[in-house]
Amino acid sequence: MDAITVDVWLYGPLAKYGGSDDAIFAQVAPALPEGSTLGALLAFLELPTEERGITFINGNLSAMPGLQPDLDQVLQEGDRIAIFHLKSMWPFQYRHEAAMTDAFRTAMTQREDQGLRSRYD
Amino acid sequence: MWIVRLNMSDRSYKLEEVPERYKLLGGRGLTSTIICDEVDPQCHPLGPHNKVVFAPGIVTGTSSPTSARVSVGAKSPLTGGIKEANAGSGWAPAVAKMRIKAMIVEGAPEEAGKFWMVHLTWDGDQPQVEFLPADAYAGRDLYEVYPEIFERFGDKVQVAGIGVAGEYKYGNSGVVFNDMKQRPTRYSGRGGVGAVLGTKGLKFIVVDASGAPGVAIANETLFKEGAKKMRAALMEHAITKPKGGLNTYGTAILVNIINEAGGLPTRNFRTGRFESAAKIAGEAIFETNKKRMGKEIYNHNCSPGCIIQCSNTLYNEAGEEIVSCIEYESDWAFGADCGIDDLDAIGKMVYWCNAYGLDTIEAGVTIGVAMDSGVIPFGDVEGAINLLHEMGKGTPMGRILGGGAATTAKAFGNPRAPVVKGQAMPAYEPRAIKGIGVTYATSTMGADHTSGYTIAPEMLAVGGASDPLKNEKAKGELSQAFQKTTALIDSSGHCLFIAFAILDISSGFDGMIDEINGVLGTEMSGDEAVAMGAEIIRRERKFNEAAGFTNLDDRLPEFMKYEKLPPHNVVADIPDEVLDSVYGNL
Repeated sequence: MDAITVDVWLYGPLAKYGGSDDAIFAQVAPALPEGSTLGALLAFLELPTEERGITFINGNLSAMPGLQPDLDQVLQEGDRIAIFHLKSMWPFQYRHEAAMTDAFRTAMTQREDQGLRSRYD
Repeated sequence: MWIVRLNMSDRSYKLEEVPERYKLLGGRGLTSTIICDEVDPQCHPLGPHNKVVFAPGIVTGTSSPTSARVSVGAKSPLTGGIKEANAGSGWAPAVAKMRIKAMIVEGAPEEAGKFWMVHLTWDGDQPQVEFLPADAYAGRDLYEVYPEIFERFGDKVQVAGIGVAGEYKYGNSGVVFNDMKQRPTRYSGRGGVGAVLGTKGLKFIVVDASGAPGVAIANETLFKEGAKKMRAALMEHAITKPKGGLNTYGTAILVNIINEAGGLPTRNFRTGRFESAAKIAGEAIFETNKKRMGKEIYNHNCSPGCIIQCSNTLYNEAGEEIVSCIEYESDWAFGADCGIDDLDAIGKMVYWCNAYGLDTIEAGVTIGVAMDSGVIPFGDVEGAINLLHEMGKGTPMGRILGGGAATTAKAFGNPRAPVVKGQAMPAYEPRAIKGIGVTYATSTMGADHTSGYTIAPEMLAVGGASDPLKNEKAKGELSQAFQKTTALIDSSGHCLFIAFAILDISSGFDGMIDEINGVLGTEMSGDEAVAMGAEIIRRERKFNEAAGFTNLDDRLPEFMKYEKLPPHNVVADIPDEVLDSVYGNL
């Protein structure tokens, strides 16, 4: 099976899952089997999904604290994946009409609060 | 309750009864209403007919948490429209405790270049004002001058003032207030309010509230109930609680997030992503301090009684303070927007802004524009610091830059001025984050990230519509809802950051309404309070219209409509009808 390489940015305390000693950030480029999902990437990094908050795939918001409709998203060669710690925040007023993945957009529209909250747990 | 009127033409003052129509107002609601009532919208902002109004918020000075805010209002020399610039400082509760609802500074001294200061004290029954010469403090670094003022008037005073930027009457000059360590670091920064105070020849307002009676509270029980709810919400929410997001990483916690979203304006808004963002972000500030100081350093409060405590301090290798505080916007303005990834240098630049009395956002964006115009290259740390010194010295180059981003772009023939109504955009790219683009375009203040800070929780219950955010009309309605709720918080005296908590924890919003009703002795509902916010914006819009603004000023700059912003390669494409709809039905 062919492999893909993805560009992973792990911020704050999550940097340890990228082998960094400080808690600023880590950038790693793991090779994964073609067809790997975001969930598979987390397993490869040994990063428990409940430790992550805001997540981006190629600059598209894909998860927020407590709302993770991105675990099954299939990754492509060269994708940039950014994963934030739970202390990080992005208030609605600064993210409405920002780019998001289709799955995240769908998850938002299904919510009664229309995605205005900053946490979903 | 009093309105203190300071006449700088003859250095006299009056204590006036608070008119009935001002009794339920505070903060931005009061400064904007007084400006509308007393300032000719067509006056020159730097002429004798403009005024500066200071007003603490409705609950400022009480035991309500995170409420030590002051609004500074004037006709803005930067935008030519109405301005309210907001800061947190012990100065605000000190004024409120003297039962001063607002301070109006008017007139102008006949002698050009003379500066005065006001010493405001409590004489047993009422506030009293003394005018003193302040020429000895003019033309100097505020970090030198502030300790002298505290030494002269005592440790208990609170000091508002202007730096040389205000003396030179720059469009990017702010009004400064002391922080908890008596440093000149808390700014009502935007719109050139410092310059208007400069035209009045008023350098400092030193407030000593010793003996003052404190804020009158009409219904103690209701007020206490409200403050309790507010405190509980702030203590519980992950963003606002002790050791939460803001207390750990400060507002610069947003740098990496906005960068990953492709919305961090970089090199004068040429791209939405800065390759070195992680080196200057909140996480880096926290960890750098930890390494240099050998321990975790959580942030401190900018003003008394704050639970959130989001103000950081950056220390150097020797453990000495470089500056306090590096806010997200300042970090971005001197960092990503100038292509600079040196945290210590960014700290130095914030320091020099504090020393000179400059607004960090306008100053940083202006340097970005200068870099984009070929004055110095992007990423040139030394060059950028030199440009700040040019502003501080008042050289011809400094005076062009002091005029702000729009003036600088014009002077150097650059169409890429990231401004609305003449005011530089803060740290969110409106092409990538379109919601904030609507607020930038339509705010009465010019491009302002704080104008649409929050939304009433009632809006959360709307439900029903399948996806209102896709609906063009709803976009305008949402921005309007943000802006009017924000105007309410700006009037309450609370810091806007309570918005995170009260949006997610609705008892916090109820608490704010209870506090307001408790202080004022009113029985407003949440909806009625938000309607008060709407009325404030209606007044501000009216002032701007009379000053010559039309709906065509509610637009993003043209270059954003034809330059695609990487990495999402998007342009500003919000239809004009949406922008016009924001206030079409207010």
